[in-house]
Amino acid sequence: MLAARTTATRTAARLARSFATVVDSAGVKVAAVDYGQPTSAVTVLVKAGSRYQTTPGVAHALKNFAFKSTAKRSALGTIREAELYGGILSSSLSREYLALTAEFLRGDEEYFVDLLSSFVTSAKLTRHEMAELVLPVTESESTLAQQDPATRALELAHTLAFRSGLGYSLFAPPHSHLTSEDVRSFASTAFSKDGIAFLGTGIDQSALSSLVQKHLGGAQLSGSGFKASPSAYHGGETRVELATGKQTVFIGYGTTTPSAELAALSAHLSAEPSVKWAQSTSPAAAGLPSGTTVQSVYLPYSDAALFGILVQGPTAEAVKQAGQTAVKALKEATGSGLKAEELKKAVAKAKFQAASATDRRDSIFSVLGSKVLAGSEASADSLISSLDKIDSAAFSKAASALVKAKPTYVAVGHVDALPYPDELGL
Amino acid sequence: MLGPLGYSFAPAVRRSRTLYKWIKPLADWYANVAGYRKMGLKYDDLLIEENPEVQKALSRLTPREEYDRAYRMKVASLLSVNHKPLPKDKWLPASEDVRYLKPYVEEAVKETEERHIWDTMEVRRK
Repeated sequence: MLAARTTATRTAARLARSFATVVDSAGVKVAAVDYGQPTSAVTVLVKAGSRYQTTPGVAHALKNFAFKSTAKRSALGTIREAELYGGILSSSLSREYLALTAEFLRGDEEYFVDLLSSFVTSAKLTRHEMAELVLPVTESESTLAQQDPATRALELAHTLAFRSGLGYSLFAPPHSHLTSEDVRSFASTAFSKDGIAFLGTGIDQSALSSLVQKHLGGAQLSGSGFKASPSAYHGGETRVELATGKQTVFIGYGTTTPSAELAALSAHLSAEPSVKWAQSTSPAAAGLPSGTTVQSVYLPYSDAALFGILVQGPTAEAVKQAGQTAVKALKEATGSGLKAEELKKAVAKAKFQAASATDRRDSIFSVLGSKVLAGSEASADSLISSLDKIDSAAFSKAASALVKAKPTYVAVGHVDALPYPDELGL
Repeated sequence: MLGPLGYSFAPAVRRSRTLYKWIKPLADWYANVAGYRKMGLKYDDLLIEENPEVQKALSRLTPREEYDRAYRMKVASLLSVNHKPLPKDKWLPASEDVRYLKPYVEEAVKETEERHIWDTMEVRRK
């Protein structure tokens, strides 16, 4: 059994390494990994996240323009053909990247790579599609995001923490005056050779790169690409009245040096139990009122990171109580550092989170995509080995440096009753 | 062929230089005689609206085109009520009588046709 396990580990390690191969095909980066799944997925990662946007909401509109008409096929044709092949098309936006994903059966890669590359090279981005198809979706997504306290709190926290760049909202303002010209000029800059990467799972590296070569080779990507202005952390406090959803408080700190230590700190404070219906042994979960959740949030970006605790509960009193416990746990962890076994536990949890993120299709791109675009080694190994190197001295140094900055505090819900930062002990 | 724009010989006429030379003056004369220009209208204002493709095309006009169209219609109805066309110097010049709606209608027709093709296609296993 042990022998079998060693072999499995070795195979896993080899497969994980194989993702690291980043090759230039037709000038863009291509990386793929094949675990032998029955389906394949190809993602085009574009450096067109909300941090680069020139007009509020333009990145969000471009995301919803995905799979609309191109020079090769109309929006209807795209949908009907994808349906015939039995594929799933999706697009998602993060603060740094726009990801267009096609999931399909093995053997259909020719069509779907063509579909994805035709959007990058020849999307029409017409005015009537903007009005008829894109803006209604954009507006309803923005409205939904406004109603969700957790999303609202994180959006506000980003704005307070980073102001411009990473501080820009992922969602278009509900009553925006975006035009298709705005989107077109944003897209023409974003679709550049440096700003695009093709990532595949369940597809052979050489097959994918030759397809990319074939479908993207002739076309020129003339955009100049976006240069990110360096992020700076500011912090601050805001309170927003919201009648829907749970009472929410976000306590966060930002830094311009994302590190593995912060991932471990986040794992240490995470009050989500490892077993369903059980209580977590995390110090932030001690004496948690029923119905109240404490989530630790660690959002690393290329040149900054936002770390925080999201407390949600049915009443403001419960949130206050849980918030006090969470802040106490945070102070203990950042002040005196962690005990050796606590640190070990936190690192193990963080390692599992990092490794399982590279396991799932929806998160592998967000974890490794930025590394592929940067042309650096993109494998699960590199993520995990950085967590392995954590020692208690480095941990307490990173943690204490983090909390020296001004905190970011957001309260969403009944602002009259929700606690102020000093009431939580910040 | 019998779409919202009706049948047109114009492309065939335009292809032949001789035919074009003979028919163009006749066409210009006809357009002036038709009388819509002296009501301040453009040819595309006369296009039959009661048609899903034309409705779609109208919804896709730019705000400026939409406003101008409504203004021309208003002027024309007032003139019609008064039984009095515009003074000759205010007639719509031939240079302004452009087919502003036609490209949108063509696009809408193309979309309908494509949808019809997709809806009625037969899938064969290769």
